[in-house]
Amino acid sequence: MPTLSEKKYDIVIAGGGVIGAACAYFLSKEKNLNIALVDLKKPGNASRASAGGLWAIGESVGLGCGVIFFKRISMQRAEAEGDDLPPLRPHILPDCFFEFALKSNNMYPALWQELKDKHDVDFKFEKTGLKYIMYDKYDKLYADSIVEQIPDLADQISWLSAEELAKDEPYINADAIGALEFKCDHQVNPYRLNEAYLEAARQNGVELFLQTEVTDIEKQGNRITGVNTSSGTLHCDMLINAAGSWAAELSKMACGVEIPVYPVKGQIILSEKLPKVLKGCISTTDCYIAQKDNGEVLIGSTTEEKGFDTTNTLPELKELANGAMRCLPILNDMNIKRCWSGLRPGTPDELPILGEMEGVEGYLNACGHFRTGILTSAITGKLINDLYRGLPLDLDITPFKHARFDEQNKKQA
Amino acid sequence: MPQSTLPVVIVGAGTAGISAAAELAETGIHSIVIDEAPRIGGAVFRGPFREAIELPHLDNKLRKKISNIRQLYQDNQPHIQLMLETRVLGPSGDNALLVRHKDDVFEVPYEQLIIATGCHERSIPFDGWQLPGIMLLGGVQLQLKSGLVKPGQKIAIVGTGPLLPLVACQLHKAGVHVVGVYEAGKFSGFAKESRAFLNRPLLTLEGMGLLSYLKAHAIPIHYGWGIVSAKGQDSLNNITVAQYNEDWYPIQDTETDIEVDSLAVGYGFVSRNQLAQLMDIEHDICSFSGLKPQVNEWQMSNQANIYIAGDSVGILGGEGAMMEGRIAALAIAQEIKILSSTAVKKKASKYFNLLNKVKLFRAGFDRVGRRREGLLSLLKPDTLVCRCENVTRADIDKVINQGVKDITSLKMRTRVGMGDCQGKTCNSYCQDRLRQELDTLDVGYVKPRFPLDPIPFSALSEGV
Repeated sequence: MPTLSEKKYDIVIAGGGVIGAACAYFLSKEKNLNIALVDLKKPGNASRASAGGLWAIGESVGLGCGVIFFKRISMQRAEAEGDDLPPLRPHILPDCFFEFALKSNNMYPALWQELKDKHDVDFKFEKTGLKYIMYDKYDKLYADSIVEQIPDLADQISWLSAEELAKDEPYINADAIGALEFKCDHQVNPYRLNEAYLEAARQNGVELFLQTEVTDIEKQGNRITGVNTSSGTLHCDMLINAAGSWAAELSKMACGVEIPVYPVKGQIILSEKLPKVLKGCISTTDCYIAQKDNGEVLIGSTTEEKGFDTTNTLPELKELANGAMRCLPILNDMNIKRCWSGLRPGTPDELPILGEMEGVEGYLNACGHFRTGILTSAITGKLINDLYRGLPLDLDITPFKHARFDEQNKKQA
Repeated sequence: MPQSTLPVVIVGAGTAGISAAAELAETGIHSIVIDEAPRIGGAVFRGPFREAIELPHLDNKLRKKISNIRQLYQDNQPHIQLMLETRVLGPSGDNALLVRHKDDVFEVPYEQLIIATGCHERSIPFDGWQLPGIMLLGGVQLQLKSGLVKPGQKIAIVGTGPLLPLVACQLHKAGVHVVGVYEAGKFSGFAKESRAFLNRPLLTLEGMGLLSYLKAHAIPIHYGWGIVSAKGQDSLNNITVAQYNEDWYPIQDTETDIEVDSLAVGYGFVSRNQLAQLMDIEHDICSFSGLKPQVNEWQMSNQANIYIAGDSVGILGGEGAMMEGRIAALAIAQEIKILSSTAVKKKASKYFNLLNKVKLFRAGFDRVGRRREGLLSLLKPDTLVCRCENVTRADIDKVINQGVKDITSLKMRTRVGMGDCQGKTCNSYCQDRLRQELDTLDVGYVKPRFPLDPIPFSALSEGV
């Protein structure tokens, strides 16, 4: 085996969260590249902290943690402007994101089978649907205006009456007046998905440098030539930035430019293991709720810009717990086992940053996935592979390129 | 809801906590002492939970120590606010703890904090370790001292350290048939440490007294021996012990079967510093007691208003805890300018003296009883390591072969440490195992999560 200083990699992936791991998996499927993946587990790693929802429509129309995000933004604006709280309107992401999220979502059933058959790893894909629970006419108005804005997805939507909801989800608050269900939105076990990609990549020959920190990037002119790590230098032709909330720091080292990725804190509550109390994933305007494969009920999530702080705070936890107890009253008799915080890699327009960086060779971004990294990891891995190999892409990534920020800046100027 | 403007909060009403509160009280400083138990004294000096006319198994020295700590509290009671049966769930904001008492969850603010949370026992998994009848050594002692129940009729004791002969005597006095004490450390090892033991001549004499008691009652001590496996249908019937080699691997042709109905397992303790970790206090990796919070000679952590004393900052036992608690209290007295630096130095010098002797004494046991890798060989592939999440040794072998190099990845792939106990049981094995495989001390650690103990959802109801 060559020593580190002699060996040269085609690709070094910085970051072993779900995005870096997905890139490693897709790039290694043909087993014809030398790939290294470098990862250091830092507090707040979003893939580990995630809920694991594949809520392609839900997240695109601002449910899931989006609704809580939007609620907060609305409140902040109302407070700043001194107005009464404006009525809550759905926060719908642009069409390019729908396409990105839905295409990724479609990949999971086959990907789950493939990883199980070829690599003996199981990320616990479950077909659950996502139900938006309505308590009153305002919730119904909110749901109506979501539906209005996504006419193309009518076949993926169903309305449940109070009786139908009670039959389908008997543990949900009987006061609910009904639900709007997104039939194609499912769930996985997030850290199992992350580890499944990693293990499959390892079986395909990717060298994993775990517990290893990136300390600097080596360049010749504007070309990346290597990655200095706490385990030595990894020479390479290509660096993929999949550093999650830490991506700006890495892009600064590699390109001299800090890409606009910043940590957005989300607090999560996890119950003790319970018998099955939910068939599907749930969103209300207070929180989302998902019962995971081992019976724990996961409740998320706050949206806070607090830098790299990962502490848990009582007022926010109370808000989540009360939202969950209202929706799922049986929780009143159950215990909270754990709480934690994750750091979503946020961007100003809530869209990921994918592809090359102007003026830098041997570098690709695969970061800024904000609250949907688990859902969009599959398409991201595939796009990065196709991009690297010069293959036709499944979708136009222009809206996701870093250059969009330069153009926005120019427009503003 | 108890509310107070008292400046100093002490977590733990054991030896370190009560000593700190007493030292503070002596200089006129008030403190709040929080403890999860219904009585003060900590695991060692809590005493019986119910009154009994005769406690023949509790020797006079222990009774005296229990009454001493109660007296110490009584004497200083006007300056100490006790909050018993109260669990600390974690930090809340910058200068408060979130605690739970019965169904109430509330904040306790502090200006200065002393963490004196003691230690918990190191669980050593081996083939059969989960059978009913097998208990950790400290647990057996607590059954005797606080619960006033016998752990069984016929018991063997395996492990290492000074607690083994002590519990053997207490069990015998309580009427249990002790078939033998199997001390993993070699006799020659202990003999070589006699100079260290002479730092505390009285303790050493007490120890000799225990040994002669055991001899007088024909309870054998087998040095250099330890556990191999345990068997039984519904509960323990039979154990296999063997002589250990230099690295504590059992020597096969010395394996001996013994019929018992109970077994006490005592391969040491782990600092209980989850709260310190949750408060982001810097830690050193320590092969002996797990993670060790960094403190200066005054027990002050890297956060200037947080002090850590007693076994939670490294296992030294009761006397060391007493001194560390008092030293931390003096540092606080100086910090809030009740005592001058000269007065503090003068008072502290005798504490430092004794503490140093205790450290030298304790280091003797630590050298002889240092865990060797042979202990990791006592598991079969299907032996459970993490009983919250049903993770076996084979599950761990598999992912280590897949290249897992840190405890977080091990956790993500197997779920070890993700159960209710937050890894208190399995973490020691997992750490030791990764260190052995990777030949490095730094394998990361499982960061404790808030809340440190499960809490009811209803405790977070609006309006509470």
